Amino acid sequence: MSMPMTHATVAGADALALQPTDNVATVLRPVAAGERLIVQCQGTRSELTAMQAIPFGHKISRQTLFEGDIVRKYGEAIGHAVAAIDQGMHVHVHNMRSNRAQR
Amino acid sequence: MPRQPEFLGYHRPDGRIGVRNLLLVLSCGGLTGQTARRIAAAIRGAAVITMPYGAGLIGRDETVQLASLCGLAGHPNVGAVLLVGDNARLLAKVATHLTAIGKPHAAFSLDDCDHDALTLTDRGLRAAARLARQISGQQRAPAAVSALCLGLECGRSDPSSGLVANPLTGLIADRLVDAGGQAMIGETLEWMGAEHLLAARARTPDVAVALRDAVRAREGLAVAVGVDLLGNNPGPTNIASGLSSIEEKALGNIAKSGSRMFEGVIGYGESPPAPGLWAMDGAAYSPESLTGFVAAGAQLLLFTTGVGNSYASALAPTIKISANPTSARVLHEQLDFDASQAFLGRATLSDMADALFDEMLDIASGKASWGEILGEGDEVVSRFGPAL
Repeated sequence: MSMPMTHATVAGADALALQPTDNVATVLRPVAAGERLIVQCQGTRSELTAMQAIPFGHKISRQTLFEGDIVRKYGEAIGHAVAAIDQGMHVHVHNMRSNRAQR
Repeated sequence: MPRQPEFLGYHRPDGRIGVRNLLLVLSCGGLTGQTARRIAAAIRGAAVITMPYGAGLIGRDETVQLASLCGLAGHPNVGAVLLVGDNARLLAKVATHLTAIGKPHAAFSLDDCDHDALTLTDRGLRAAARLARQISGQQRAPAAVSALCLGLECGRSDPSSGLVANPLTGLIADRLVDAGGQAMIGETLEWMGAEHLLAARARTPDVAVALRDAVRAREGLAVAVGVDLLGNNPGPTNIASGLSSIEEKALGNIAKSGSRMFEGVIGYGESPPAPGLWAMDGAAYSPESLTGFVAAGAQLLLFTTGVGNSYASALAPTIKISANPTSARVLHEQLDFDASQAFLGRATLSDMADALFDEMLDIASGKASWGEILGEGDEVVSRFGPAL
């Protein structure tokens, strides 16, 4: 997977996914529970409903994840889910964990 | 063929080009730190660096200490050096290096000064004043950007760093490398989870192995001492801003290395032996990491931040870049370059890179960075083991 080098955001998008294989997107503003978001991913846009309030810059799940599933951003593994995560939920240290430097 | 961009710099006898002409007061041991600060405070514009350790350093620490002192004192941004210390033999080694590269200097040990800080202050201050006058007439002259060596750093990162500020910095690294200059990334721990991407850009198979080995050694260190990286790196500020794991941080971090090939992995504070992009195996904490770049000869540092980080090098102008719109709004006297328009989708990274490259050359030619104006500069050399 090549590194995305030109992923400046596009005006009007609420969240950004960097690669089509990413199962999380980064929200570009604070979002409230129930909001419909426009998710930009390279040339395409899709819609996603936030199930929870999510702070600026944090991640939202683009799909349902099961415990143990790899969390992907930049087209790469950034850790694994440690709980079930529904589509539209906040993904952070409470429900995902690094794959590295674990004893 | 387009003319290569230039900046105005100080041409040193060793062939390197400085972007500043600093008088450096360098304390080469822990007993003379306050004396060095006192002398530097009395000379307008002087830089001060204090090495807090001395006798008792062994092995790699002793080697790195001497190499770092020589690298900092001999730095192209330094016009002249006053060395003070408590170890006359160490001072003589650094002074010998400075003589070899043609750098004006004076050296005083406590042994020469009745073992008294006030006597050292008096003699040192008079010598420093003479050095300051000696270099004050030096003029800048045009130099090609290929003479630049750039250290690439991030600190207090947030998700805007990996999305915009680091890729933007990567474009600058690419341009400088393409022009024949040097660029370095460090912070080995923050390659973890992205080392396969770095290895894919290794110039040779040996370089790929060295990149992976460097990460494996850091990971082994963390596991061996039982450190949970969550809360350490990413740290509490990173986590609050939305970074969830070292892999996520690393994948954003490495974007600032751009897209060119890695020529090699160099040790902490070690000068890149040839043009191109290099990876320095070093500590992730910014003060140690930046000093590694500076001791290696970096004249300028590009430092991306998410929520803000005022720290700067004492010798190399440290250009602060953020794409976080809130940071850009509130950190007027910290951020040298506002990349938030790219985060907001109102400017392309390519347009921003043109502006940042111009700003970098302006700062190389003498425009002051905020860190210099506010005197934030410091240097911290890494330690590797216990002392005797």
